[in-house]
Amino acid sequence: MKFEIQLTGAGGKRKHVVDLERKGEVSTVSLDGQAVEADAVQIAPNAISVMLGGQSFEIHVSRSVDGSVKLQCGPHEFSADIIDPRGWRGRKHGAVEVEGRQEILAPMPGKVVRVLAAVGDAVEAGQGLLVVEAMKMQNEIRSPKSGKVERLLVKEGQSVIAGQALCVVS
Amino acid sequence: MFKKILIANRGEIAVRILRACRELGIQTVSVYSEVDRTSLHVRLADEAYPIGPAASRESYLRIDKLMDVAKKSGCDALHPGYGFLAENAALPRACADAGITFIGPSAEAMEAMGSKTAGKQLARRAEVPTVPGTSDPIENPDEAQSLAQAMGYPVLLKAIAGGGGKGMRVVPNDAAFASAWRDAASEALNAFGDQRVFLEKYLVGPRHIEIQILADAHGRCVSLGERECSVQRRHQKVVEEAPSPVVTPELRRKMGDAAVRLGRAGGYVNAGTVEFLVDADLNYYFLEVNTRLQVEHPVTEQVTGLDLVKLQIAIAADHRLPFAWETITPRGHAMEVRLYAEDPDNNFFPSPGKIISRHAPSGPGIRLDEGVYEGWTVPMDYDPLLSKLIAWGNSREETIARLRRALDEYTITGIRTNVSLFRRILAEPEFLRGEIHTKWLDEMLARPHPPAAPPRPGTEEAALIAAALWHSGQSNAASSGSSESQTTPSRWKMEGRRQQMDHMP
Repeated sequence: MKFEIQLTGAGGKRKHVVDLERKGEVSTVSLDGQAVEADAVQIAPNAISVMLGGQSFEIHVSRSVDGSVKLQCGPHEFSADIIDPRGWRGRKHGAVEVEGRQEILAPMPGKVVRVLAAVGDAVEAGQGLLVVEAMKMQNEIRSPKSGKVERLLVKEGQSVIAGQALCVVS
Repeated sequence: MFKKILIANRGEIAVRILRACRELGIQTVSVYSEVDRTSLHVRLADEAYPIGPAASRESYLRIDKLMDVAKKSGCDALHPGYGFLAENAALPRACADAGITFIGPSAEAMEAMGSKTAGKQLARRAEVPTVPGTSDPIENPDEAQSLAQAMGYPVLLKAIAGGGGKGMRVVPNDAAFASAWRDAASEALNAFGDQRVFLEKYLVGPRHIEIQILADAHGRCVSLGERECSVQRRHQKVVEEAPSPVVTPELRRKMGDAAVRLGRAGGYVNAGTVEFLVDADLNYYFLEVNTRLQVEHPVTEQVTGLDLVKLQIAIAADHRLPFAWETITPRGHAMEVRLYAEDPDNNFFPSPGKIISRHAPSGPGIRLDEGVYEGWTVPMDYDPLLSKLIAWGNSREETIARLRRALDEYTITGIRTNVSLFRRILAEPEFLRGEIHTKWLDEMLARPHPPAAPPRPGTEEAALIAAALWHSGQSNAASSGSSESQTTPSRWKMEGRRQQMDHMP
């Protein structure tokens, strides 16, 4: 399966194409069209061990609150935006619209000052769902996809912590 | 010995005390606020009771609620930990009224030693050196100047009504005295409506070195040696070690004797810490007394082999200190770093949230005191201290190498931590040479960041492959996870059915 990945690290931002092919237990990997001798094993839900020509790496993966993927390798950190071929048809204006049921998380600790949508409302991708105030700044939290507001998990005036689920759009 | 102890705290220190109690065979009672229901100190306790909302003043600072829990659960002693009510004399008083033993000093000793001014007066009586200066205002500038000459420059002028650096002037030499005096007085008048000024000797680049003391109720008071805590960010300790890189056996004995004199003069019982400022010529000056267990107590434990919490409990139970270790000498070296849920790239802003995954370091010479676990949400309501990572070894060099190695093993995802700050500190040549003082870290942070070492070749490629693999696993789980479990029965279920079949007649 082919993935287009935009990787951001201390060295800058670059787009790569990673092709993972699984044949039973053995997988072949190509990076930007070049076959590489690699072996990757998921050793824990959020940790992957990668062997690259005998060099051993351990990568810890987590989902960032902004939707990108955070990769930690010892002291080094990268962030990746992954474009899945299965999601390509939903692409709009160069951005990727996510699919499936989406849980919207608070990007920072703060207070919900306004709720802009109600359960059952149809919303467009990019439409505001609620407003969270943090450090005296109001941040509108927008829907990552078109769909229906399935659940609202917070009320106006409620304090939230970073990463707390605010609502679900399906 | 006590049967059941109430731990009036939360986080890593509550867990630390719980562990000591468990080793001693004492039952434990935890208390928790609404947001701490799933915290580690609640999970590990024998009993735990809610004491109110998240805000500390409505929960962990409520003496009435603590006493209520202690009485209802039948506790015979209470350990306050550090922070919260640990230095509030009202808590030992409430304990005494309720017939519960407070594991710490008496309310009177707390008051006689805990406040800065009372502590300073006591230090003078016990002939413990204090920073030379006048605590009373001086009206006459000429009189002040001759005092400054006698004291030796530089000196510091401070407004009596002062605060926030207003009305404060460092005077480098005699020639600058008159104008500095005028400036300080007029600034003090403008800021506080009070132009009175006093003066103090100004210590250039002092170190913060503290002495751990232990005193029992039978008249024995001993020093367990020093801890060097000079690496501080805005007066908050960040790295602590024992022994100090500059303290000689002779200085250790002198400072230890001074701390013990002070403890005796204040009628102190239990564990306490006497803090000193030490100048470049190794003169030491009393700063203040902490009448409780310190955050950094593990470094002393590692070099002395003693368990300070168990000793605190034994002292409170009226046991005698079982040793004559006035002559105790540290063995090896220990160092502690305080890992906080804060973002060093964003001005150390707190970063509470859910810990997605966590891999803890281990191996030779590593100790981790913490109150967190994978899947736990760090609440935003309290001090964001996650863990104390402590390393020890035969030498300072070996200890630092172990600490670096452990920091590389330690991975937390989901929240930001200040791990990168320690990687930087532990690589600074000045730190490695032990050339540190209380402003050292603030100065280091003000300098431009040195470029981080580039990742070794292949790291980026490995990250890309990991991202792709993880992503494909995520989307597979989302799209096919449920259907898979329906079509292929779980192996556990099949095994269970097979066993049932075997048992059928």
